[in-house]
Amino acid sequence: MEIKIMKNILDRNQNKAAEVRDLLARKNVLMVNFISSPGAGKTTLLECTLDKLTKNFKIGIIEGDITTDRDAQRLKRFNVPIVVINTEGGCHLDSHSISKVLGCFDLDNLDAILVENVGNLICPSQFDLGETFKIAVVSITEGDDKPEKYPMIFREAKAVIVNKTDLLPYTNFSNDSFTSDLKKINDRITRFDVSCTRGDGLSGWYKWIDGEIRNRYFKT
Amino acid sequence: MHELRIAEDLAAIVVEIARKEDLSKVTKVCLAFGQLVQIVPDIFDSAFRITVMGSVAADAELAIEILPVKLRCRSCGNDFSLEGNLFSCAVCNSTDIDIIQGKEMFIKSIEGE
Repeated sequence: MEIKIMKNILDRNQNKAAEVRDLLARKNVLMVNFISSPGAGKTTLLECTLDKLTKNFKIGIIEGDITTDRDAQRLKRFNVPIVVINTEGGCHLDSHSISKVLGCFDLDNLDAILVENVGNLICPSQFDLGETFKIAVVSITEGDDKPEKYPMIFREAKAVIVNKTDLLPYTNFSNDSFTSDLKKINDRITRFDVSCTRGDGLSGWYKWIDGEIRNRYFKT
Repeated sequence: MHELRIAEDLAAIVVEIARKEDLSKVTKVCLAFGQLVQIVPDIFDSAFRITVMGSVAADAELAIEILPVKLRCRSCGNDFSLEGNLFSCAVCNSTDIDIIQGKEMFIKSIEGE
């Protein structure tokens, strides 16, 4: 006996993501999902970003980590609410894990939640968390082939941050090749070339994310 | 790695349908994945085996179809296939492109007795 179905396998995740998105829109909270390979510099970027944003906004952090809370420990000094989600081996966060921890925040008193996803370029791009938008973070030391190998995340992200530009002279990273591949996949993506350790290029990023939070007022 | 999590959700759907349809055994599960989802069929098959172990679908065969990417230009309406990761329209050069196929993760049908 054959039973025809035509059902999205990730319906459960999609439905919960829609609930999360709806709740955040009602509370007028922006949620940003940061996605990168391990070691691209997401936590360092968050350190720099929190240092600026906490002067003007109330920010919450969700740290996706496979087993530890080391990233969360690094962000403690900013005195912002931080929730760690340990995925226990899972390579990405999903909307159910996000939905469960949203209750830990006072959403009426937050402007934005920054989510550091688990380091991975494929899996997190498949799982909608209910975020407002995704940010892809890549680093010079990973090589220039990331857009070509992982097109989906560069297609879906609203902005890409190219980190560790200070290390450019020590690698064979071709900026031309990276730029041309990125342009083919997503000509409209906003790009910031930065060095989070030296501070190069970060002012443009701060201005952009500041604007995104200020202009977040959702139509409900 | 995302194969395992997707296989878990699939297994839950298959077991639920088998229960509703009163099947004692699921023999085949037909799926369609868009090319952009980057599923590796062999890995997905292994992940599925783990997630259905001991269930009515333990011996089910998986038939996986990979759907190529199809795009539509939002400016001029041109439909075209993705080649060389180029998301721009060859007719009008617009980069305002919709993905009309390539992101699917569908269960199409199950067979059982």
